[in-house]
Amino acid sequence: MSEKELGQKWDRCLADSAIKFGTGLGLGIVFSVVFFKRRTWPIVFGTGLGLGMAYSNCQNDLKSHYVLHSKVAKEQ
Amino acid sequence: MHLSVKFAVKIKQHILFATKLTLAGGALYVAYDSGLLGNGKEGSVALGRAKDAFPPAVEEWMKYFGFQLPATPKIEFSPLDAWNSGVQKSFHALSVAPSTASDYTKQGLQYVKDLTK
Repeated sequence: MSEKELGQKWDRCLADSAIKFGTGLGLGIVFSVVFFKRRTWPIVFGTGLGLGMAYSNCQNDLKSHYVLHSKVAKEQ
Repeated sequence: MHLSVKFAVKIKQHILFATKLTLAGGALYVAYDSGLLGNGKEGSVALGRAKDAFPPAVEEWMKYFGFQLPATPKIEFSPLDAWNSGVQKSFHALSVAPSTASDYTKQGLQYVKDLTK
C-alpha cells in the first residue's frame, strides 16, 4: 500500500468516525427522548454503537489491501 | 370507569405509541438513507455533503433571523505542516547530535588547555 493510499484510508476513517459518532449520538438522543423517558443510557449506547461501527469499517478498509478478493464469473 | 372512557384511553395510548414509533423509525430510516450507517466511503461522502451544505444553511438562518455573524478570522496555521516540520527538525537535531557534541567537547578541552598554559 502506498503512502498516499494509506493517507487517504486514514482520512476516510476519521471522516467516517465523525459521521458515525454524530449519527449514533443523534439516534441515541431521539430514542432516549421518545421511548426511554430521557434516560442517559440510550445516548451512551447509541454513541458506543456508532463508534463500534466506525472501528469495524476502519479495520475492514485498512485490511482490504491485503485480503484476497475473489471474483466469481457468473455463468450466463 | 365507563367502558367508552377506558376505550378512549387505550386508543390514545396506541396512537401515542404509533406516533413515537413513526418518529423513531423515520429518524432511523433517514440516517440509513443518507448513507450515514454505511461503510467508510459512504461516510466520508456524507461528511463532504454536510460540509458543502453548511455555509448556505448558516446564511439562510442568518437572513431569517436578520443578524450578521462576525466573519470567521482566517487562521494561517496548518497543524500538518507544523507537525511535519517538527519531526524533521527533531530528527535532524538527533542526527547531528554526536558530531555537535564532539565539537563542543573539543572546544571545551581546548579552552581548558588554554587556561592552564
